[in-house]
Amino acid sequence: MTDELSALRRLRPDQVHPDYPAEPTVFSRHKEQLMAMIGDTDLAAITDTMPDIYPRLAYNDERAALDYLTRVFQFQEIREARMDQGDTMLAWLRTGTGVIMLGHANEEVHQISSPQTVGGTTVQIMVYVHDVDAHYAHAVREGAIISMPIQDAFYGVRRYEATDLEGHRWHFGERFEDITARGGTVSEHPDGGLPKG
Amino acid sequence: MAVDSDAGVISASIDDPERFGLLFDRHATAMYRYFVRRVGSDAADSLLGELFRVAFERRATYDCRHENARPWLYGIATRLLARHHRSEARRLRATARLAASLDRGSDPSEQLVAAMDAAVLWPAVAEALTRLPQVERDVLLLYAWEDLSYGDIATALGVPVGTVRSRLHRARRRLRELEAPSGR
Repeated sequence: MTDELSALRRLRPDQVHPDYPAEPTVFSRHKEQLMAMIGDTDLAAITDTMPDIYPRLAYNDERAALDYLTRVFQFQEIREARMDQGDTMLAWLRTGTGVIMLGHANEEVHQISSPQTVGGTTVQIMVYVHDVDAHYAHAVREGAIISMPIQDAFYGVRRYEATDLEGHRWHFGERFEDITARGGTVSEHPDGGLPKG
Repeated sequence: MAVDSDAGVISASIDDPERFGLLFDRHATAMYRYFVRRVGSDAADSLLGELFRVAFERRATYDCRHENARPWLYGIATRLLARHHRSEARRLRATARLAASLDRGSDPSEQLVAAMDAAVLWPAVAEALTRLPQVERDVLLLYAWEDLSYGDIATALGVPVGTVRSRLHRARRRLRELEAPSGR
């Protein structure tokens, strides 16, 4: 039987445009980028396991959120996981050993709304990063909305808090022992976060 | 597992990441062509970089029983393509218009073209293809355009061979129906 398969084969684009130009520069450029990426130890250390628990965050504009979270907070998208669903999409982002999922606010099925719609959030998401000072500086440079400046907190963590573009609340921190391990120094009397009075 | 097989290279790249560059040398051209066929050269360019980054990040999950990594790369590539459905539909329509305007008397499907006006046939095939469910279009194109075996398609998509057969069967039937809605 030939019919629909032969028609399909005949429609293979390089049958239709037989002189399709090959571009060797495409390959040398991508090879170079790949090798540069491979040389980056942080990326090479990425593990492939998904945690057994992670939150799904609701946004009214999840594409803007994806751009924001990767640009400002340096989350890495798990690119092959992205699911486009017409106008909306789902994406998974990784940082360290943690994962968050983000998607469009969905009042009908999941009854989850963006904090922007509700006027507040009930969750604070705790994120531990390597070199929180650099993370903070980067976030500020990228225009993060800082809701609590960086400070050594009484519970042994240098941390700052930020509110993202739709009002989800983020707590970024680094433990004192990790700071000293990378050669940093911490306050001798950290009191950030202690209740007043 | 032969040391210089893809499986050997990937396995060695766990401790010696730079070895992974060899995978690029071996497969980048074929994978780029696959992307170009499906979504055109602009999207193919960025997809090529993305494919090898993702493959590198996932190398620890590679099943080393498969000496040849090409089906695995096709699988990642196909999942990345799922995001480009609109470019794919555009590309198919453009290819169909071009095919319809070309006169190729020596083509093996000449009789088919003669039976059905080329100006009608190619856009109909393209349209039918864009309307297939994603999973069926993937199987159909891996088979018809990339010449992958059932076994390789199953490896690529992580499904049993029986599923490949049934998807292919359904896709071909749907294509026949959609191409000739008048029952020709």
